[in-house]
Amino acid sequence: MRILVAMSGGVDSSVAAALLHEAGHELVGVTLHLWDAAGEQMVGRCCAPEDRDDARRTCEHLGIPHYVLDEREAFRRDVVEPFLDEYRAGRTPIPCVECNRTVKLDHLAQLAPRFGCDAVATGHYARLVPSETGARLLRGRDHGKDQSYFLFGLRRETLERMVFPLGDLTKDEVRAEGRRLGVPNADKGESQELCFVPDGDVAGFVGRERGPGRPGTLVDDAGSVLAEHQGVEAFTIGQRKGLGLGGGPARYVLRIVPDQAQVVVGGATDLFGAELEASGARWLAGAPEGSFSAEVRIRYRHTPAPATVEPGPEGFRVRFHEPQRAITPGQAAVIYRGDEVLGGGFIQ
Amino acid sequence: MIYLDHHAATPLGEPARRAMEAAAAAAWANPSSVHAAGRAARALLERAREQVAAALGARPAEVVLTSGGTEACDLAIGGLGRPERVVSWRLAHPAVLAPCATWESAGVPQLLLDGLEVPADDLLEPGTLLVVPWVGHETGNVLDLAALAERAHRRGARVVVDANQALGRLPFRMDDWPVAAVAIASHKIGGPAGAGALVLRRGLELAPRFPGGGQERGRRGGSPGVAALVGFGAACGALADRLDAMPRVAAWRDRLEAAGIHLGGVVNGAGPRVASVTNLSFRAWKSAHLVAALDLEGLATSAGAACSSGLAEPSPGVAALHPDEPWRAASALRLSLGPEGLDDDAIDRAVAILERVVPRATI
Repeated sequence: MRILVAMSGGVDSSVAAALLHEAGHELVGVTLHLWDAAGEQMVGRCCAPEDRDDARRTCEHLGIPHYVLDEREAFRRDVVEPFLDEYRAGRTPIPCVECNRTVKLDHLAQLAPRFGCDAVATGHYARLVPSETGARLLRGRDHGKDQSYFLFGLRRETLERMVFPLGDLTKDEVRAEGRRLGVPNADKGESQELCFVPDGDVAGFVGRERGPGRPGTLVDDAGSVLAEHQGVEAFTIGQRKGLGLGGGPARYVLRIVPDQAQVVVGGATDLFGAELEASGARWLAGAPEGSFSAEVRIRYRHTPAPATVEPGPEGFRVRFHEPQRAITPGQAAVIYRGDEVLGGGFIQ
Repeated sequence: MIYLDHHAATPLGEPARRAMEAAAAAAWANPSSVHAAGRAARALLERAREQVAAALGARPAEVVLTSGGTEACDLAIGGLGRPERVVSWRLAHPAVLAPCATWESAGVPQLLLDGLEVPADDLLEPGTLLVVPWVGHETGNVLDLAALAERAHRRGARVVVDANQALGRLPFRMDDWPVAAVAIASHKIGGPAGAGALVLRRGLELAPRFPGGGQERGRRGGSPGVAALVGFGAACGALADRLDAMPRVAAWRDRLEAAGIHLGGVVNGAGPRVASVTNLSFRAWKSAHLVAALDLEGLATSAGAACSSGLAEPSPGVAALHPDEPWRAASALRLSLGPEGLDDDAIDRAVAILERVVPRATI
């Protein structure tokens, strides 16, 4: 089979390519240039020039063609601008979902036949299993690395073309395979930050892109003003550090009221909620009829929690069996049954 | 592989290859050294200079040898003194546009003409530096250099010619027009990359861009890459053969272009052009995708100027010629060819690959 492999320059995609190559597939390496790196801090992120060089080096090592495709315009339009809008609106967006969906995988799945390829492979930690109704998306076997959370939005046609060679491996096994196969960057580090905000300073990034934020206040549940702030983009639900409230009992961001530039804080117990509404629903295994039981994950590092899901016309409502901490608007609510991803949407 | 990217670099021709092999063995020394080894290198370097001069009907003393066409353009645009204004064309190569922009940053007014526009008389006053990209690198369109140079000369403007894509495709002599300097490069005429020249009319002062050790009569410091320049000289020595081959090259180009049009492509650019290129836009394709898809089938092409990162910017030359149709620049495919490595059979196979790949994308 001729397979288009998305190569970020990182360990995972390099090992994914090396494994497919060893299995005898004909490969075409593609690196998407999504963002212009600014400074040293970008090294080790998927868009630094060094990472493109690493991808090229891996492809040379494997003896496969490699192309760098410029998708900076689409990335800014479809990922970065909505991200900025969301933060300014007091939500905490999860840009990796849209990036994986439109800018990366849908795009590469459309490109594959143009390159004479039958499939698209990536280094995601997720699994696909065939079924009578089409491919089913499962969590990666390494639940610590599982990236299925970011993939709930894939179109059906895209999913059918995907190959995830790392789905059955742990990160340690991936590094070991990388060393065994002589992948040039098998011991390279990685970062958990967003690729376009490598220093993790989201508020600073939003300020540089969109100008100063709208000053407002931190208030308690009763509406008493506790402090001032320079823009809601510096806050996310559940945040404790950096509130500037001095000593006293620990307080957390409970919710953000963007039209009043107000950040409401309170105690840890007030952070828990048992319900959420999600919009922009996508159903990988077909739209369900009526409510059903499942497990729902409300952020990347959250253990899916048992809940009842009630589908609506465009979204769905989730009632957790136990209250969950920090249900955060803008994040994805992804619905699992066991290891299988049934669908997901964005928390309102 | 069928190589149709001769505007980026031509395959190394036999004359250059043979000359370089000999030079690599004999001319490794520094040509500025006084000893016998240095003199041997110097002799080969000066022989190369004579071949370059002869090909353009210039005197050897008028030839400043450089590391390539970009350096030659930069040397001419930056080294002939501060102009009062700079006039060039948007379709010019970055090798021209970047040094022009440097003058603009230094406070010199810059005017870039659209398409194949002709500058008004009042732009050609004394003090103007008119930089003519004689042959557009993307579409091969030819500006009327004779008329431009004549008018500029009459009005008092100084003319620098970027002839990088003209050399070996259009016959010319330095005496054909009253111009100050002509920039040329080796790897567009069957020579190696890393060699070029600025041919400078006698009597003009040229400030070096890197003074270094005062080589090239103080006009270009640094030890020259003798072996590459020897290859360049040999390629210049074979220039007449190259020009003789152009009708054959034009016939191949026309065959490729007809196939492209049949597949729904539209030809970019208009007016006179050189034989070595056609530039087509296929609306359902992004340039970079089509170039990659063709490469995977063994056909080497390009979207436009080859830039360092390998990324394809929307083709600026095509954008300049078709400002009302931006999709053309985003979808442009440049097929450029020359006498090396091609024959009727290769062109047939190239057409077959186009017919196989282009229809994969539909709007």
